[in-house]
Amino acid sequence: MGAIPGEAAVARGSGPPDGRPRLGGDTLTGWLFSAPAVLLMSAFIILPFLLAFYFSFTNERLLAPPGRETQWVGLDNYIRVFENPRFWTALVNNITFAVIVVPLQTFFALFLAILVNQKLRGMVVFRTIFFMPITVVMAATAVIWIVLLNPKGLVNTFFEILTFGNFHPDWLGDPAYALAGIIMVSIWASVGFQMVILLAALQDVPESLYEAARLDGANTWQQFRHVTLPGIRNPLLFVLTITTILAFRLFDQVWIMPDRPGGPLDATRTLMVDIVDTGLNQQAVGRGSALSVIFLLIVLAVTIVQRRLVKQEGEIR
Amino acid sequence: MVSIGTRRRLALLASAGLVVAAFGATPVVAQGDPNVCDGVIEGPLTLDMTMHTGSNPGAEMATVEAFNAGPGAELGVTINVIAIGEQAYETAIASAAAAGEMPDLVDMDGPALYPFAFNGLLRPITSCASEEKLGTFLQSIIEQGTYEGELYSLGSIESGMGLWAHKSMLEAVGARIPTGIDDAWTAEEFDQVLRDLQAAGYGANGPLDIKWAYGAGEWRAYGFAPIIQSAGGDLIDRSTMKSSSGVINGPETVGAMTLFQTWVQDGLVDLLAEDDNNFTVGPDGTANTGDETPLSWVGHWMHSLYSENLGDDLILLPLPDFGNGSKGGMGSWNWAVSSGADGIPNSGDEVDLDAAYAFIDYATQQESIERFVNGYGAVPPIKDLSAFPGFQPDGDRALYIDYLENAHADPSLQQAGSMARPATAAYLFIRDRWSEAFADIIAGADVQSTLDNIAQQIDQEIEDVGY
Amino acid sequence: MSATTKRPAGQGATLAEANASIRRQHLQRYVIAYGVLIVLALFFLFPIAFMVAGSFKADTSVIADSGSLRAFVPEPFVGLENFQQAAERGNFWISFRNSVIISAGIVFGGLVVNSLLGYALARVPFRGKGLLLAIVVALIIVPFETLAVPLLLMMAELGWTNTLHAQIVPFLAQPLYIFLFYSFFLGIPRELEEAARIDGAGPATVFFRIAAPLAKPAYAAAGILIFLASWGQYLWPVMVTRSIEARPLPLGIAEFQGLPPRDWGDIMAYAAMMVVPLLIVFIIFQRQFVRGVATTGLKG
Repeated sequence: MGAIPGEAAVARGSGPPDGRPRLGGDTLTGWLFSAPAVLLMSAFIILPFLLAFYFSFTNERLLAPPGRETQWVGLDNYIRVFENPRFWTALVNNITFAVIVVPLQTFFALFLAILVNQKLRGMVVFRTIFFMPITVVMAATAVIWIVLLNPKGLVNTFFEILTFGNFHPDWLGDPAYALAGIIMVSIWASVGFQMVILLAALQDVPESLYEAARLDGANTWQQFRHVTLPGIRNPLLFVLTITTILAFRLFDQVWIMPDRPGGPLDATRTLMVDIVDTGLNQQAVGRGSALSVIFLLIVLAVTIVQRRLVKQEGEIR
Repeated sequence: MVSIGTRRRLALLASAGLVVAAFGATPVVAQGDPNVCDGVIEGPLTLDMTMHTGSNPGAEMATVEAFNAGPGAELGVTINVIAIGEQAYETAIASAAAAGEMPDLVDMDGPALYPFAFNGLLRPITSCASEEKLGTFLQSIIEQGTYEGELYSLGSIESGMGLWAHKSMLEAVGARIPTGIDDAWTAEEFDQVLRDLQAAGYGANGPLDIKWAYGAGEWRAYGFAPIIQSAGGDLIDRSTMKSSSGVINGPETVGAMTLFQTWVQDGLVDLLAEDDNNFTVGPDGTANTGDETPLSWVGHWMHSLYSENLGDDLILLPLPDFGNGSKGGMGSWNWAVSSGADGIPNSGDEVDLDAAYAFIDYATQQESIERFVNGYGAVPPIKDLSAFPGFQPDGDRALYIDYLENAHADPSLQQAGSMARPATAAYLFIRDRWSEAFADIIAGADVQSTLDNIAQQIDQEIEDVGY
Repeated sequence: MSATTKRPAGQGATLAEANASIRRQHLQRYVIAYGVLIVLALFFLFPIAFMVAGSFKADTSVIADSGSLRAFVPEPFVGLENFQQAAERGNFWISFRNSVIISAGIVFGGLVVNSLLGYALARVPFRGKGLLLAIVVALIIVPFETLAVPLLLMMAELGWTNTLHAQIVPFLAQPLYIFLFYSFFLGIPRELEEAARIDGAGPATVFFRIAAPLAKPAYAAAGILIFLASWGQYLWPVMVTRSIEARPLPLGIAEFQGLPPRDWGDIMAYAAMMVVPLLIVFIIFQRQFVRGVATTGLKG
C-alpha cells in the first residue's frame, strides 16, 4: 500500500468519522479520559491566569505595608505598559529572535535529522551527541557559555583562527552581537529536541516512496521536496509552531548571560524579562500581570497568523 | 481565593478583635506587649532563621551552634537555620513574606532592611538593646539598622571598600601613594595613574579590576555609588527621600560617570575577568609575570586571598576623590526580627521578642564578632579594636575604620568618609535601576539620558507606591 | 543500486578503472558525510567537554585556560576534590533525592494524564472536544513565569508551600505534551483500532491495548523531555520552598554564584553532577525509543 500512514486521518481531521464505524462515540469516555488533565489545567493554569488577569486591573503589589489596600485601576497598567519604550524594545527583540531562530533552528534540526537518518555506521552515536545539550540544565548551560563567549574564550579563539585574528566580538557585552550570541546558545541547547521529533517523522516515510521517485528520475533535491517534505508535513508544522512559541518565551539565557538581564543596553530584553522584572523584582504584580495578558495575546496572534500562512502555502502547492 | 490585601485586612480585624477582647475581658497580666523586650522569655522555643550562604557560612553556622549550645540552652531558645543561596535570597524571602511564611529571624543585607520595615515585616528591637550595648557599636551600625526612628537590626560585621594595589607596580610608574582617606588620589590623578600603568603594560585586560563578573545586583550599587557621591551627587535626594531627580542625574553625577565611561572606553578597566586571577596571578594563572592587574576596586572580603598571594606587596588605598572627598562603602549583613510568620504586625503570631533578641545579642557580642572578623576578614562593627590588629591604626586595613569613623550622610559635605546607602524603602528599586544604568553606561550609553531615564523611573515608583 | 557499472564518461575505460572510480566516489561521499558529522559533533560536544574537564581542574585554572585548548585538559588535576566541595556546599544528596522524586512524579503522572487527554482529543468524538482542543493549544503559550505569583498565593492558601507535591502537581498537565500526544495519535492508522471496535472492544480497551502501545515513541520522547524540563526548574522552587528538605538540585548552583570566592572548579563539578544522571537516563531510554519506532509497524 502506498498511502502514507496517517495521511488519511490527517486529511479528515479529528472530527466524527464518515461512514466508518465510530471509534467510541462515548461522550462519557471522552470526558473521563479528559478529566484528570482538564481538572489539573483548570486548577493550575487557568485559575492562576484568571487571577493574574484580575490583578492586571489593580495596583497589586507582592508585598505592601499593613494598611495598604489594593485598588482597582482599570486599564491604567495596560496604558503604562504600552507607553513604556522598553516594552516595545522587548517586543522587537522577540520578533527579531523568532524570525531568525525559527527557520534557522527548524531547518538545522531537519538537516541533522536527515544526516543521522543515513544508513551509515555509528549514527546512534552522533544522534546521542546532537541531543546531549538538551540534557544540560539551562542554568548550567548559561554559566558554561558565559565563559565560552568571553571575548578571550574558546568561541573567539575559534573565530580568530578562521578569520586570522580579525573577528572576536564581545558577544555578551556588545549590543550589536549580544542577540547573535544568545541565538547561538539557544540553538545549541534546543535543536536536539526538534531533531528527535523530525527524525521520528523521517523514519515514518516509507523507503518505497523514495524508490518510486528515484525510478522516476528524481534527484536528491526533488526527492526531498516531493517525498520528504510532504511526508513529514504534520510533525514539521508541529515543530515550527512549538519553536515559534518557545522563541517568544525566551528567558533564562537572556536573564543570566548578558552584563545585566536583558542587556547590554536592552539588546536582549525580551517580553519574559519584562514580565519577571516587573512582577517579581519590582514587585509590581498588577503591571506584571498586565504584561502577562498582553504577552499571551501577542503570541496567540502570532501563532494563529503563522498557522494560517502555512496552511495557505500548503494549499497552493 | 482571597488576595493578600483582603487576607491582611481580615487578619488585622481578627487580631484587633482579639486585642479588644483580651483587654476587655481580662486584667493585664505579665504576658506583656509582644513588641517590647520585657526581659521575660516564655521558653522553651525554637526559632526559624533564614541565613544567606555566602562567602563563608562557617562563621555564621558556628555562631548559631555556639548560641544553641550556650546562651540559648540556658534560656531555652534554639535557633533553626534555613540556609539560602545568596543569589536566590531576596526572591526567596519576598516569596515567603508574600505567602505569609516569614521566618522568625532574618539575616538581611544592609539597606534591604528598609523595604521590609516599610512593609511591616519587621519588628523594632529598640526596647531590647541597652544604651550600653549600643554604645559599643560604630555609629554606622546603628544608623544602618534604624528606620524612621526605630532600631530594627544589629550587624555582626561592617564592611569596607578601597583600592587594593600592587605597591611595586605603583612605584614602578612613579605614582604617588596616598596615605589615608584625606589623601586620596583626585580623579585627575587617578586618571593619570591608570594611564601610566597601562602604558607600562600592567594588567592584561586593563589596569583597574572592578569585579565586573559579580554581575548585576547589590555590588554595582555598593561598589560604585561612592563614585557619584564623591562627586557630590547621590542615589536619592536625602532631604526629601521622595525624588532622585537632580542628584542621580545632576551635573556632578554626569561628570563623574562620563569620566568613568572614558576610562572604560580607553581600555583602562578590566571587564573580562571571570574570576579573581587577574589581580592575584594574572589571567594566565602564573604569578609574577607582570601581567597582574595592578589595582582592584573591591571590598574587605578579598583581603585573605589577596594577602596570601601578594604578601608585602599588597597595599590598601582609598577610592579616588571625585570632588567632595573620597567616599567609601558601609553596611553589611545584619540580623532582624520579623513580625511573625504572616508578616503582619500585632496579629498574634509573633514570637517572643526577648527570645529572638537573645540570639541577636549573642551574635553581636565580642566572641561572635571575632569569629566573623577572623573567619573572613570582615570589618569589626565595634569601637573597641583591641582584638583586631589588622584594623588598628597601624594595621593593614586601618583605612576601613577611618572611613567608618568619618561616616556621614550628606554628599555635599566636602569630606572623606563612608556614605551609608540611603535609608529608603525604595532602596531595592533604586539599586536595580542604578545597577542597570551603570551597566549601560559601561556599555557605552549616553550618560545624561541614561541617568535622566532612571531618575524619572525612580520618582515615578516612589509616587506609585507611596514610599 | 545495482552492482553493475555505469560506463564512466570517456572512451575505453576498463572495468577495473570504472570500479575504482565508483569506489572513489563512495569513499568521497563517505568522507564528506562523516566529516560533516564530526564537525557538528564537535560543536555540540565542546561545551560539555569543557564542563567535564573543568570539574577536574584546580579552581584558578578553569578560567585561566578557558581561551585555549588547555580548557579541555584536566590539568592541574585535583581528582574529586571539586566534587566533594560542591556536594558539601550545595547539600547535594538531599537536593538530588528531591529532584529525583519531583521529576519522577511529574514524568509518570504527566505521561498518564497528558496521553489520556491527547488520545481523547484525537480519537474520541465527544461534545466540546473542538473547544477543548483550541483551549489546550492556546495554553501552550502560557509560560510558567506569568502564573508564578498567583500560584504562590494559591500554594500558601492550600498549605502546600515547602513541599514536594507543590513542585509536582501543578506541572502534571502540560498543554505542550497533550498536543504532542494528540498529534501522534492522529497519525496512527485507524484500522487497528477500528478492527478492535468491530470486535466489541470499548474505547478504554482500545486505548490501553492498542493505541498506547503503539505510542511508545511518543511516550519515550515526552517522558525524556518532561524529565529534562522538570530537572532544571529553578524559579518555582525558589519561590515555594523554604528549607532544604524540599529543595531540588538547581538551587544548589545558586549557592556558588554569589560573591566570592567563585570556585569555578566547584561550579563545573556541580553542573556535571546535575547533567550526568540525565545523560545516563537519556542513553538508556534512547534505545527504547529507537526500538519503539522500529517495531510499531508505522512503516507501510
